[in-house]
Amino acid sequence: MRTEPSLRKFYGWFTVLGLLIGSLVVLGYYKDEFREWKIYQRRYFQEEARRANTPQQHQNAQNLELAIRQIQVPDLNRVDRCTTCHLAVDDPSYGGYPQPLAYHPLHEQHPSEKFGCTICHRGQGRATTSAEAHGAIEHWDEPMLPLAFIQASCGKCHQAADNPAAPELARGQQVFDESGCRGCHKLDGTGGILGPELDRVGARRSPEWLAKHFIAPASVTPGSAMPPQKFSEPDLHAVTLFLLSLTGGGAPGYYASMKVIPSAAEGQHLFQQKGCIGCHSLGGQGGKVGPALDDVGLRRSADWMVAHFRDPQSVTPGSVMPKFGFSALEARALTEFLIRMKDQHLSLSLPSLMGPVERGREIFRKYGCAGCHGPAAKGGVPNPNSKTAELVPGLLYVADGYTKAELKARIVKGQREIPAMDPKRRPPPLYMPPWGGIIKDAEMDDLVAYLISLKPKGEDVGF
Amino acid sequence: MNLPSPLELWRRFQRSAVGRSVFRVGLPQSSLERAQAMVSSFVLHIQPAKTHRHSLKPGYSLGLGLISLYLFFLLFATGLLLMFYYVPSTERAYDSMKDLQFVVSAGLLIRNMHRWAAHLMVLFVMLHLCRVFYTGSYKSPREFNWVIGVCLFLLTLGLSFTGYLLPWDQLAFWAITVGTNIAAYAPVIGPKMKYVMLGGNAVGQEALVRFYALHVIVLPAIAAFLISLHLWRVRKDGGLSRPAELDEPVTQVEAPRLPTAKTYGLMELARGTTPQVGADPDEFVLSWPHLIFRELLLFLLVVVVLLFLAIFWNAPLEEMANAIHPPNPAKAPWYFLGLQELVSYSALWGGVIVPGLLVGVLVLLPYLDGKPRGVGKWFAHERIVANSVFTVCLITAIILTIIGTWFRGPNWAWQQPWKPVAAHTEAH
Amino acid sequence: MDPRLMGFMNSPTPQTESDYSRRGFVQLAFGWAAGAFALAASAAGALRFLVPNVLYEPSLQFKAGRPDDYADGSVTFLEEERVFLIRKGNTYRCLSATCTHLGCTVDRAEKGYHCPCHGSVFDEQGMVRGGPAPRPLAWFLVTLSKDNRLLVDKAQTVTPDKPLVT
Repeated sequence: MRTEPSLRKFYGWFTVLGLLIGSLVVLGYYKDEFREWKIYQRRYFQEEARRANTPQQHQNAQNLELAIRQIQVPDLNRVDRCTTCHLAVDDPSYGGYPQPLAYHPLHEQHPSEKFGCTICHRGQGRATTSAEAHGAIEHWDEPMLPLAFIQASCGKCHQAADNPAAPELARGQQVFDESGCRGCHKLDGTGGILGPELDRVGARRSPEWLAKHFIAPASVTPGSAMPPQKFSEPDLHAVTLFLLSLTGGGAPGYYASMKVIPSAAEGQHLFQQKGCIGCHSLGGQGGKVGPALDDVGLRRSADWMVAHFRDPQSVTPGSVMPKFGFSALEARALTEFLIRMKDQHLSLSLPSLMGPVERGREIFRKYGCAGCHGPAAKGGVPNPNSKTAELVPGLLYVADGYTKAELKARIVKGQREIPAMDPKRRPPPLYMPPWGGIIKDAEMDDLVAYLISLKPKGEDVGF
Repeated sequence: MNLPSPLELWRRFQRSAVGRSVFRVGLPQSSLERAQAMVSSFVLHIQPAKTHRHSLKPGYSLGLGLISLYLFFLLFATGLLLMFYYVPSTERAYDSMKDLQFVVSAGLLIRNMHRWAAHLMVLFVMLHLCRVFYTGSYKSPREFNWVIGVCLFLLTLGLSFTGYLLPWDQLAFWAITVGTNIAAYAPVIGPKMKYVMLGGNAVGQEALVRFYALHVIVLPAIAAFLISLHLWRVRKDGGLSRPAELDEPVTQVEAPRLPTAKTYGLMELARGTTPQVGADPDEFVLSWPHLIFRELLLFLLVVVVLLFLAIFWNAPLEEMANAIHPPNPAKAPWYFLGLQELVSYSALWGGVIVPGLLVGVLVLLPYLDGKPRGVGKWFAHERIVANSVFTVCLITAIILTIIGTWFRGPNWAWQQPWKPVAAHTEAH
Repeated sequence: MDPRLMGFMNSPTPQTESDYSRRGFVQLAFGWAAGAFALAASAAGALRFLVPNVLYEPSLQFKAGRPDDYADGSVTFLEEERVFLIRKGNTYRCLSATCTHLGCTVDRAEKGYHCPCHGSVFDEQGMVRGGPAPRPLAWFLVTLSKDNRLLVDKAQTVTPDKPLVT
């Protein structure tokens, strides 16, 4: 009978494997147990204990427990765990402390328990390590916004131009409009077709990329037709910030109701929108059904006006002014506008009060014609290799070359082929798109009137 | 103190009335008890009371089947735990994966274990298939067991594929899009198959729920059943195969029917001859402890390797699935990359003919090649033709997979893996 | 004795598994101990895994606005949190609006509270005055947060004689 094989040769293996398993389990435990956020929480607890003066405060400091803290904002579909490390965002006494224990300035305005953090600061809210949470990592598309650009996030819920606390954003929109970016890029459905739409550009591009794109478009987008922009530093920053605010998402429910900040500018916007000028007059212009509103701020108190907006009959019995259904914020905005009208010299651009040329100027601005034809249509925008002195032609003298009908037809049809100076070089990148489907007919007439009016007075071209 | 040793205490408990009602055989002390332990234990009785020495040689089977089985158990255990946090909804799946990583204790570890065990199981099932082929162990009487094995192989691929979608990230979404599109190339039934698999025309919420149901209950249940059948067949077919020289050549004669009183008990019902005919009794050793201990050691080894991988390498999680932004290139899971490479040459060949032939030949193999020579040893000389053909196919598959993994960049264009072409990304 | 047998007698080899050497025993014991430890640790780890660290329910601690948002002598129902915020002078209390009978939300009555489901009646102190409710309504701890908000902690019940005093 053969002897049984001995298992003894395996005992050594058994020990080694057992040891390995034991140490791997312990290693796994440590890797799981020692998390980065616990370090910061302990630091906070120590600080709280150090600052405690009363027995109650000492007790509170003792009772603090290590735990992940999260803020759920179901309306915004977000879960933010930033307060796991940033424990003192709502405590003013921590102002000026080093991060992550610093107080969040102006916490009152947008309390973190209502808004979370990532809606403004971006980043990865669900993460609990600083690298992952701040989001500048692979496979996360929304890294934290550099603080210099934080005003871009205001645009998510507020109208860009109406927020007194975000002046850079308003300036950015102004630069955008004046530079005529819409001439080539569509935004909110309005604009040209030479470049991509900008509705979600803020979600897809980083601040660095955007700034570079303005200064030297071809360096970040090879073969780009976009002419390099000449912005001052502050303007470059502002318009980059404005583009960062274009993330395409609307703000839901509660957050959308905040779209109206009761500023005078918003009030003016509403005044125009609701057509108040149909019954009331300003500066002698307008309807005669209701009283003139020029000095209404001196005659009526703010409370009276708000009540009047909410229910006219309640403060003026027998009034025929309809109940417009303004929200409290809208009523306050309109009130602001009427009261401030005199001091702020708010220019009223009411289309019904303007002549065709003025309206045409607005349309020129609305569709961004300046993007190619230069500010105030003076020209100067480069179009390499085009026969027109390698520039997009200015429009000051169109009155000489075209009748109204011809000019209108020209704009409607556009011009796809731009004659090239040198056929061997790349054809001119900028062309005139057909604006027929985009600019409405009535607008077209006004635009033509404006363009005709551009010819400097008293000049005789002569032949 | 006069306390007896823990071992003695345990033995006393076993001998008590309560103990005896639970444990029918205690810790074995004699050879008889060792044999009884194997036969009377629910967990162990699928294994024989005695094992042939040849089967115990690590160099013979390499324990590949056992490793696959252990990985299955580990996948089951980790998968069960993961089910407590994972939500199969397109809105919440990705977030639940992030939660596992950040706020669940040991969440990352368990997820990593599950992912690496899954990849390893596909690999080891393939290796096990190769081993069985190269040792000719699919021949009579083991033909049907081979067929069950091929089914298990396909089930393993199915389990891995259905699980691949669940994280709902870009990697998952596009791998499944590519995979189901390859499946749709099958003639006649292809598009219908894809429609039923996805519960629609595109990968979406319906596909996620279906894949989840398949992954956690349907496929595991079928796999568990087939695994049991597979192991039972190993017993019935006489254990692991071994070279014919080890046994005595005996002409098997069916025993004459015993005159009985028609009790239809087991002795009367057993038909044919047992697989033990011709086996040399000297070559058998008691399974307890020789087989059991080796199996335990192998299990420990598998756990060590898996823990090691899970602690030091994280399972991937890319951006959330986005149907409008396919990555370039979009690649299927690694075990389908060879097919994807073939499909890039010809949809018919890569999507239909080659996989169809592969599966068909695999299933029918034992019935095509029934010559009972060269069983029980690696690369037997008598089987040189079969082995060579298999090796050529294997190497081709490996090369195609390597190409698909490292040598294909954006637009499936050739790239050198040490100089990867930058893939198209959205930001920056 | 035959010399050839001497060697055999002098170094007996173990014949059965129970006759292992000390080294083998230590190795085995170590292996079993480590294995048992790993198994216990894994079981403990799996159990700890199942205990949630974050909840997706509304938090038990919430801020209820500024103290000045509440008029003196007011009883304000906070709908989302299902509590009453009660201010008297400069003391603030928070009363649970969950009926202790079967969990319906109680209504404010002339004096006290009344549950519309099965008619339980509670007085100003939350004590049961009628109906099937077995226990009085709970009072929750109110403190002042660092940014001067009322902080209610529904995880901590207090007696009504210890309100927040600002």
